[in-house]
Amino acid sequence: MRSILINRKRILILTLEILLLLFSLLLIFGPMTSLVLWSIADKWFWPNPVPQSIGLDYWKQALGIQKSLAIGAVSIVPAFFLSLMIAVITVVIAMAIAIPAGYALAKYKIPFGTFILFLFLMPNAFPQQPIFVNLLDTFTKIGLAGTVPGVIIVHILVGLVFGVWITSATFKSIPVQLEEAARSVGANSLKTFFRISLPLAAPGLLASSVFVFITSLDEFTGTFFIGLPFVITLPMTLYSSSGYNMQFASVIAIILLIPSILFMTLIQRVLKAEYVGGMG
Amino acid sequence: MGKIVMSDNVQKRRGFIFPPYILLLFPAVSFMLLVYAYPFVSSVLKSFINKEGALSLDNYFKAWDLYLKDILFTFSITVFNTIASGIVAILLAVYFRLHESPISRFLLNLYRLPIFIPFVVVAQMMNSFLAPHGLLNVALAQLRLIDLNNPLQLFNFIGLSFGFIWKLAPFTILIIYGGFQMIDNSYIEAGRSAGAKWFKLITRILIPMNKPSIMVALVLIYSQIVGTFTLPYMLIGGKIPTTITVDIAHRVNYFRDFGVANALGVFSYILVFVTAIYYLKTKVKEVK
Repeated sequence: MRSILINRKRILILTLEILLLLFSLLLIFGPMTSLVLWSIADKWFWPNPVPQSIGLDYWKQALGIQKSLAIGAVSIVPAFFLSLMIAVITVVIAMAIAIPAGYALAKYKIPFGTFILFLFLMPNAFPQQPIFVNLLDTFTKIGLAGTVPGVIIVHILVGLVFGVWITSATFKSIPVQLEEAARSVGANSLKTFFRISLPLAAPGLLASSVFVFITSLDEFTGTFFIGLPFVITLPMTLYSSSGYNMQFASVIAIILLIPSILFMTLIQRVLKAEYVGGMG
Repeated sequence: MGKIVMSDNVQKRRGFIFPPYILLLFPAVSFMLLVYAYPFVSSVLKSFINKEGALSLDNYFKAWDLYLKDILFTFSITVFNTIASGIVAILLAVYFRLHESPISRFLLNLYRLPIFIPFVVVAQMMNSFLAPHGLLNVALAQLRLIDLNNPLQLFNFIGLSFGFIWKLAPFTILIIYGGFQMIDNSYIEAGRSAGAKWFKLITRILIPMNKPSIMVALVLIYSQIVGTFTLPYMLIGGKIPTTITVDIAHRVNYFRDFGVANALGVFSYILVFVTAIYYLKTKVKEVK
């Protein structure tokens, strides 16, 4: 009797699990399917449940393989390379100033420490849009609005905060004893840093660089205020085609989605959960 | 200072030398002061300066008159989605923690996916999925649940919430589940052997023991929702009501009206004030 009851309970739980699985699959992949369908829909008129004809015309057009005036899409290759260039420069500069700062926060007791911590925590706690708006005001006066350097500065701002926290957490995880051992055999602080701390921190620093890279690639709000209408990054092409050109917008969205998922899957295990959610 | 013994000695010998951390922190801190702190302070100051350049509350009166509805809309969107994401996340995280099976392991990974998708892509996804003749409406019509001549209108509170929960509940799951993993099995076993059913297990053991990470998760998504511009801008745009972030963009792009935009910005600071203080306090404590 008892075993029948346990069996019943098991079946009930399994049924609930399968229902949850199906529901979750629909929930997560439903919106994604919509994106994929639109990206290959040559013709999709309401109320057909699926596109009337499918093809890769919008993909070819967006990737610059084909140039036809009949298809409402332009090559996004220039925007892609602009985004890539901005992201690479952003990573180099942001990490060059984030690594020393992260190291200092991890290894030294700093006077006014709370104030400095506040400075790096506030962007997570308060909305950032008013910052961009006021930067636009300032940048307009000094000629940085609508320029690539202006956009890079904003991307550094967005990435730097995460860069500093991730590197600081990484340096903190390196045992002090290792550094002390190096010093006790006569290495000076620079040598200790480059021979001991830096190599040990390398995986964390790499993860943090990749993170800053992706944040820059996907950055929207700052670029919207500082860059438009002259600096057209990939997310800006998505924005300007969104709403009236479903096919083209869907193609760009998928192109943006691929590196994000790929890189984040690679580095997520190294990162603290809190930072992973900070993007976008 | 005890960690860096050598430099202490050097300091004693030569008197005062420049502490190395000043040099290390200088670039990052000066960048943050210039590009973050300065615009932050000026966003508050400029909200009190009217078009004639005089000190006044004009911007606030105007923002209040024009956008009170939107401020309330933003607040209700934020509260609703924080609570909804929190409940969904706690339930799923409990399930992942207490029930080990191939399906639960698969779902744990599946729910990571939206975290990695940037808001601008989520916005486009929802834009096509939730449209009056989008995939959702078409699918529901195929199941004869709705009539396509009268489709669900989702570019409003409901659609925006769907987008926010889709993107942010998974992030909340990740943090809360991380906290649940820290709770030793022995507590759960003890609860079970004392006869606690799953509901008691959740409310008496799992949630109280995991309060810090639940709070941090909720505080983080709360401030993120208040500050998100992309999703409401691409989904609702200038319809009424819309969010504060969309209004700020309109004030700046159409009217170059930085005064009212900044007053709206201060309203968004006020909305996150309590959560921001909580976040700053716990983080500073955690770091020290």
